[in-house]
Amino acid sequence: MKTSQDIPLTYNENENCIKVTNLKKQYGKGKPLVINGISFAVKYGTVFGFLGPNGAGKTTTLKILTSLLNPTSGDITIFGKDLFKKQSEIKRKIGVVSQNPSFEANLKVERSLDLYGLLWGLNDRKARKDKVKEILKTFDLESIKNSKNDELSIGQRRRVQLAREFMHDMNLLFLDEPTVGLDPSARRMLLDHIKKHVKSGLTVFFTTHIMEEAEYLCDEIAIIDNGKIIAFDTPIGLKQRYGRMNKSIEITFKDNLNEPFVNILKDIVKENKKVSDDDELNYTYPEITLKGGNAIKIKVNDIEKVISEIFLIVPKNGMEIENISVNSPSLEEIFLSIVGNSKDNFNKR
Amino acid sequence: MKFTDKYVFVSGILLLLYRNLFAAIDKMFFIWQILFPVFQIYIMGYAYSALIGDQGINIGTSSISYVAFLTTGMMGFNVMQGSQIAGTIFWNDRKNGMFHQILAMPFNKIQYVIANLVTLIVIGLTSATAIILIGLPTIFQDMNITVWGISYTIFALVAGSIFFGSFTIILSTKMKSSETYNVFSNGLFIFFIFVSSVFYPAEGLPQPLSAAFYFNPLTYIADITRAGIFSHIDAFTNLEVLALTLFSVGAFVIATRAMVKLQI
Ligand SMILES: Nc1ncnc2c1ncn2[C@@H]1O[C@H](COP(=O)(O)OP(=O)(O)OP(=O)(O)O)[C@@H](O)[C@H]1O
Ligand SMILES: [Mg+2]
Repeated sequence: MKTSQDIPLTYNENENCIKVTNLKKQYGKGKPLVINGISFAVKYGTVFGFLGPNGAGKTTTLKILTSLLNPTSGDITIFGKDLFKKQSEIKRKIGVVSQNPSFEANLKVERSLDLYGLLWGLNDRKARKDKVKEILKTFDLESIKNSKNDELSIGQRRRVQLAREFMHDMNLLFLDEPTVGLDPSARRMLLDHIKKHVKSGLTVFFTTHIMEEAEYLCDEIAIIDNGKIIAFDTPIGLKQRYGRMNKSIEITFKDNLNEPFVNILKDIVKENKKVSDDDELNYTYPEITLKGGNAIKIKVNDIEKVISEIFLIVPKNGMEIENISVNSPSLEEIFLSIVGNSKDNFNKR
Repeated sequence: MKFTDKYVFVSGILLLLYRNLFAAIDKMFFIWQILFPVFQIYIMGYAYSALIGDQGINIGTSSISYVAFLTTGMMGFNVMQGSQIAGTIFWNDRKNGMFHQILAMPFNKIQYVIANLVTLIVIGLTSATAIILIGLPTIFQDMNITVWGISYTIFALVAGSIFFGSFTIILSTKMKSSETYNVFSNGLFIFFIFVSSVFYPAEGLPQPLSAAFYFNPLTYIADITRAGIFSHIDAFTNLEVLALTLFSVGAFVIATRAMVKLQI
């Protein structure tokens, strides 16, 4: 299989590498729609993060995009071509690391990388050997290169599976929870390796449950739940959109708090419970928690207003502030609040 | 298909064939594939010969020794036995996630099926050659090798591989677990073996039983293989060739359809 040149590596930054329109999937007649009309686009040379709780439909979407499953309906173009008409042409330019393990049980690691390269059409023995060497080194597999694949630990096997995919050239890489089972250094090494390839033009479709990873790697994030995309933005955009009302402040006082003062603080927070009629802002649950004897943590919508009110009452009550810090929520907290909210709405229905 | 598409299609099959032979199949299988018939030919062949005495076995118009009959029957038997590896490859590929991976690569299900069948053909022809060589002392007296005759033998082994390979693949796409698959295929294969002319000729058996022999492709495989090696090709052999062709083509079509329909 020659590495085909029919899909040019040069592209227009603004063009989409993947475009999905109104995709639906049900596993068999009478079964529920596990993908329920999703649409999204992935630009060339970017990392697209596909996030969502277990059973949301991430793997199903990925299987459809990699031609392993047929959708029930919907349009998909990859590299500007219709996936269903140009399937084999498109497949020659994509790499896939599936969520399930995949390995040649009878082969040693080094030999299985070599075979994988051969299957991908790397016919030149010498070139293949060099590539194997390079990849063994990059993925830190030299110490296990002579072990048989079915004798490896789960994490080692995952590493081989990931490394293997870089044996061939591709324009688009699908990764389904690639870092599950990897130790922190292997994880970081993988993410950096992906980043390097993205810099030189690779497009990546990436699913994960680990928010730091998504934040570190992804240019855009879609959150899918129950077969529907419920949020789509850049990591920063998500934080701004859903995070501004989820900020928290921690205030440490010089002296221990007394009950009357705490009650005053609680009243301030309660008054700020509803600051907006904007539907989006209802993701937040204002709360106040005591931390130790002399500190409080407050979560509210309108941080500035609460802070200024607290500043007013502190001296009046003979208290003194020692330290004050404002925390932006992590992407994980935002994920939980978005998905949690969608579940609430779902249950209400 | 354009030429380049054909080239890609065929080279894909060859790559998968290479993978099957050098990666997917356990080495022990090859050893067993050779050892088992040797054991059968020399132990069973001579043990039964002692039992039935010197009487020859009629094929066509002439008569051959029982060991010679058995050795040539074993070639067909071995093809059937070996074809189970197609099911094993498929189960292992599913279990180890390689089936998915291969289909996500530039290969499709049809190429996968054909590669598995070609693998069986290669194994079948190789082990048949080994049987001829190892069993040469048993068939030496009766054999009559001609190009025309040997092409019948080769046809029987190739078509037999396709039939039993497809059969195995159909079974393994329909079964939910490799255990049920094994139980099922072992059971069916025992039926195939004993209701066939591998170990004994169909002639002289009670009518219904000998008729049942001819609903069994393994009988055709064994008969045609023998007819080729001993150069006893007659009109009936050609009829068997036709029947075997129909069985193989039918099984192949059903196997590829079952595979294409298979939900991943
Ligand atoms: N082969 C199948 N047959 C029937 N239903 C299926 C099949 N595969 C998946 N599903 C269903 O489709 C839904 C989506 O599954 P999918 O594997 O896409 O989830 P996911 O988002 O990848 O979850 P996870 O985070 O656990 O990997 C689930 O409700 C699941 O039960
Ligand atoms: Mg999944």
